[in-house]
Amino acid sequence: MLNYIREKFSSFTKTDRHIGPLAVLRMAFGSIMLVSVVRFLLKGWVYAFYIKPRFHFTFYGFDWVRPLGATGMYLLFVLLIITSVLVTIGLFYRIAITAFFLCFTYVELIDKTTYLNHYYFISVMAFLMILVPANRYFSVDVLRKPELKITYVPWWAIDIFKLQLFIVYFFAGLSKLNYDWLIAAMPLRIWLPAGSHLPVIGGLLTQLWVAYVFSWFGALFDLSIGFLLINSTTRKFGYFLVVIFHLATAWFFKIGMFPYVMIFVTIVFFSENTHRKIIGYLSRIFSKTNTVTDNTGGYYQISVAKKRIIYILLLLHFSIQLFLPFRYLLYPGKLYWTEEGYRFSWRVMLMEKGGTAFFHVKDPRTGKRTEVINSQYLTDFQECQMSTQPDMILQFAHILAADYQQKGIKNPIVTAESYVTLNGSGSRLYIDTTVNLANIYDGFGHKKWILPFHNNN
Amino acid sequence: MRKKFIYPAIIALIAVAAFQACKKSGSSPTNNSTGFDRVGMLKNLSTNIIVPGYITFQASVTTLDSSITAFNTSPDLTKLGNLQAAFKIAYEKWQAVSTFDFGPAANENLRISVNTFPADVTQINANVSSGSYNLASLSALPAEGFPAIDYLLFGTGADNNAILVQYTTDGQAANRKAYLAAVSAIIKTKTTNVLSAWKTTYPATFLAASGTDVGSSVGQLTNELNQDFEVLKNYEIGIPAGTESMGTTFPTKVQAYYSKISLQLALLHLQAIQNIYLGQSAAGNGLGFDDYLVSAKATYNGGSLNDAITNQFAAATAKLQALSDPLANQITTNLTGVTAAYAALQLQTVLLKTDMPSALGILITYGDTDGD
Repeated sequence: MLNYIREKFSSFTKTDRHIGPLAVLRMAFGSIMLVSVVRFLLKGWVYAFYIKPRFHFTFYGFDWVRPLGATGMYLLFVLLIITSVLVTIGLFYRIAITAFFLCFTYVELIDKTTYLNHYYFISVMAFLMILVPANRYFSVDVLRKPELKITYVPWWAIDIFKLQLFIVYFFAGLSKLNYDWLIAAMPLRIWLPAGSHLPVIGGLLTQLWVAYVFSWFGALFDLSIGFLLINSTTRKFGYFLVVIFHLATAWFFKIGMFPYVMIFVTIVFFSENTHRKIIGYLSRIFSKTNTVTDNTGGYYQISVAKKRIIYILLLLHFSIQLFLPFRYLLYPGKLYWTEEGYRFSWRVMLMEKGGTAFFHVKDPRTGKRTEVINSQYLTDFQECQMSTQPDMILQFAHILAADYQQKGIKNPIVTAESYVTLNGSGSRLYIDTTVNLANIYDGFGHKKWILPFHNNN
Repeated sequence: MRKKFIYPAIIALIAVAAFQACKKSGSSPTNNSTGFDRVGMLKNLSTNIIVPGYITFQASVTTLDSSITAFNTSPDLTKLGNLQAAFKIAYEKWQAVSTFDFGPAANENLRISVNTFPADVTQINANVSSGSYNLASLSALPAEGFPAIDYLLFGTGADNNAILVQYTTDGQAANRKAYLAAVSAIIKTKTTNVLSAWKTTYPATFLAASGTDVGSSVGQLTNELNQDFEVLKNYEIGIPAGTESMGTTFPTKVQAYYSKISLQLALLHLQAIQNIYLGQSAAGNGLGFDDYLVSAKATYNGGSLNDAITNQFAAATAKLQALSDPLANQITTNLTGVTAAYAALQLQTVLLKTDMPSALGILITYGDTDGD
């Protein structure tokens, strides 16, 4: 196996590759982003998530990130639409993809309420796409300036995307190798019966063994799909699985655009020839010239200095990619319960977690206390996400402390009485109700005020 | 190697799915041994609880409206007494349908139109004296609905003789009668609209949305059950008892402050929510959330979640029953008892809002979830 990889790797690095896969990826990514952003706008989420809320839950270290206000936010989404189109057609590509990356990532940084692995994935993909010359073939940029056209790119320009996708799937698979998922079939044994109204398959979803089959198959799929897609003999079958798997999840669960994003971007695994066929097909639709000729294009040339910077960035990026999913090992306690080191690790669909949190503010001078009406500060969505995530509970406590301080109560004591249920455990106290959260500051250390998880079922 | 394993696995999976699908197509989903009959629950709730609830409520509101007409034509003590009785009955019947603020009721904004309390007495009096008002505006909500009538019929004088004066010899008697009629007319129109939707097209919509996402009937019911439970816990008990104001109590903020039936209404409200949970109606004990939780084998603290919720309903009811009307007086004289009732309701909030939806996989917020 190792020899095989080494052999493959050296044959990878020796040869330049045809640029076709990169051009197709550019169009696939750009167009699916266009659909995603328009869908986001049409659902009214720009208002609901970024304009309506009075407060936002920023990420640790990013508390300087603020939303722009209504006009600004809508303009930003218009910019996302424009840049998606520009990326798709390959016009002013580098500026467009850089702007897209910055705008998209900025929006995601405003509020962790909306955090999804999908969005993180899109930021990561957009970042990688900044580094590659995806506009130098079959693009408006080439039509504009034919001298830009190239036919061959270095191996890394294409393979970084395969590596990234491999990492996403493989880590998603690794995260499923645990008791809850494999032995208890959680949370699928809760989620699947909830789809019992679906036509044809509905009755099946209520069967417990089906939850087991889906759990095990899901884990197996995630772990093996990267290998199946890399290997040319299993690729077609692998892609068939990708399509079936993602369409099935799109049907069963409310997971938005992600399945379609994955179906689109995993095309990158296919061979040059397949991509040439795709481009040939597209050019017959859009262009008067019948085929894209390769003979005019050359090789991708960049300066050694630039190349070095790109290598360093990639090395850094993939090191982080490999480390982040394992950082949870640095924390004690059950990961799903504390969520310390949970985000940015491709942990998807692993938890059915719900909570209710009552906050109390006490005036240390009079000893009198009051219960907070969360909805006076937060939207339903924010409250829902906050009540099961300790760092958000802490942030909300600080919002309350600041607000009551302003109302004239000096050093208000803020405590949380929070009940959380995890994968059908039944709710139990989540946060130490005696701890004054106003005096606690977030950090990378273990949050000692999270009560330990005891499963007493 | 890998391929050899996966191919047969996939084929087997598809074959089993196909076989199951064929087998299922002939039989109804209710025969499923492990699946819960959600449509059956929706059917029971709509046929035996929601529609009869609205029929009764609409009848009581119609009686209230005609009592107002009779009183306004020739106000006397007897008609005032009849009217007050009709009001109490309508307010009681409201408790049984307060939860269903989705679909037709949501279109009419029924809950906030009918029962935003405490009443804004200043606004009501200003409206009465000016004789011109727009009750359709959002800011008018605390000046209309049952709380406004509660004030107009019970709070405008020390006793019924004094109240009657407000509708007879008082300078604003005509305006006051007109206001009373206007407020009642809104309640009647909205309720009639809601009932007619439930009597015609809406049940089909309700039964068709048999999924578990936000827009589904189960999702909406769960969501509104919880919203309504918050009304009970926070507005009927908590806020007047000072839980949200550093211990400063507001006895006048209770529901039905002037007619002094606050506790009775709160008990009816809790009973109504419990009936929805149990699927309990005059027709007997049909499918409800209790059966749903039992079929999902939902657990809580080593026991069954259904037991925990049922017990907590009993505990909260007992705490409320230990109090007596007028609730406003209890807040002044027996605050411990009131806060104990509040605490019991609080625990139930957790079970209904967190444990129940989580055990059933019911989505109660919008937005995408994390997918694979």
